[in-house]
Amino acid sequence: MARYGMVIDTRKCVGCYACRVSCQMQNELPVEESYIKFYEKETGVFPNVKNEIIPVQCQHCEDAPCVSVCPTKATYTTKEGIVLVDADKCIGCKYCMVACHYGARTQDHNTGVVEKCRFCAELVAEGKQPACVSTCISNARIFGDLDDPNSEVSKAIVKMNAQPLRPDLGKAKIYYVR
Amino acid sequence: MVWGTIIAAYLFLAGLSAGAFLTSSYAARKYPDAKIVRIVGRLISPILMGIGLLLLIVDAEAGLKDPLRFIYLFTNFSSVMTIGTYFISFFMMAAAYIALMELLKKDINKMLEYVGIVLAVATAIYTGFLIGVIGAVPLWNTAILPILFVVSAFSTGIAGTMLVSAFVDKKVIHHVISIKKFHLTLLISEVFLIFTMFLITSSTNESAAQSVSMLLSGEYSGLFWLGLVVVGLIVPIAIEALELWNAKKLHQTPAGLEVAASGSHGIAATMITESAVLAGGFILRYLLLAAAVPVIFI
Repeated sequence: MARYGMVIDTRKCVGCYACRVSCQMQNELPVEESYIKFYEKETGVFPNVKNEIIPVQCQHCEDAPCVSVCPTKATYTTKEGIVLVDADKCIGCKYCMVACHYGARTQDHNTGVVEKCRFCAELVAEGKQPACVSTCISNARIFGDLDDPNSEVSKAIVKMNAQPLRPDLGKAKIYYVR
Repeated sequence: MVWGTIIAAYLFLAGLSAGAFLTSSYAARKYPDAKIVRIVGRLISPILMGIGLLLLIVDAEAGLKDPLRFIYLFTNFSSVMTIGTYFISFFMMAAAYIALMELLKKDINKMLEYVGIVLAVATAIYTGFLIGVIGAVPLWNTAILPILFVVSAFSTGIAGTMLVSAFVDKKVIHHVISIKKFHLTLLISEVFLIFTMFLITSSTNESAAQSVSMLLSGEYSGLFWLGLVVVGLIVPIAIEALELWNAKKLHQTPAGLEVAASGSHGIAATMITESAVLAGGFILRYLLLAAAVPVIFI
């Protein structure tokens, strides 16, 4: 069984938002709603500064707080490690939004259901890549099986020493190269 | 604010309801003659909880559109909200049953009332656990919060019960001195708990420090100092302490107590104190939700 994960190389990300737009199209989201948020971070002291653009979406945590707090079991983790929301069970209590360390969840105000990045589970089931990965213009995103040491994503994590955003907040399945 | 005013009102009402239940149970034992306090507490408890639950339902947009989904609330035992749903459901049943018996002037099963007392405490503490277990918000993620919520719940419960009781019969407040003493102790404990919580949490973590400074000197400082500290705590503490001081003097001459009890003296002070405590209880919860700065993850 595959255990899916992703690498995001912020050194390659140019902040074009193509991933966000393709995600919105794939998930049929309105313009003002999106599963990928962009953060900017400046480090260093002038003149030696680095400006980083960091796309953040659901990190598909191994021991996800959203899954444990959800009172209705609407949020669950699949066998492949993808965290999903059952839209027919969600009551919109927003407990998961409060519990998420990454602010990665948004509420759809038409249905009241709280949604988020689903690693494009339906595309992945067909053997395709998530929309954000296949659309990225600079190949800053790599998706694949974390349990397979020969997968592109596993090799990239080792080669570039990719780390989760905050390893202390629990095991995430998105690794960042920064 | 992911959780806003509606949730603050719910947390406040749940605590108030539990507190009113506890107040009435206490009054029933300590002051068998103070029927009004007992009856008022028992009646307002399920009503206030009911209003709180209606607010929750309104806030849960997806459930509001498809109410059958609320059944799933009972399914995930790893969620504090599920456990709370059980507490509240059983508490609501016990409180409603006891209120009904009170209305029908029937005897109340003692065992059932004890169960109700346990469930009331569980309900009050649950509102603290609900947000206390959220690791993503350091301001909430402290062991003091559930204790603060229970103390505040009991304090607002006494205030709500006494306020309504005073409307029914203004003499009643002079007969329940130990409730007033209890109330004063709770209010002073609340000051201490808030101080401890802010002092300790603000020094553990950047986000918590940010939350605390938002309250003490930032965006919400006006509401914090004026609303919570002055109106919600200092004013009631001062009036309550003065009243107790006066009552102590009056106790020595039973005739004097009668004078105080029959006069209009004291009723205004009670109205102000209890309303101020209620306002403070709501403001406390509102501020804790408003100043919830999440963990910085970038």
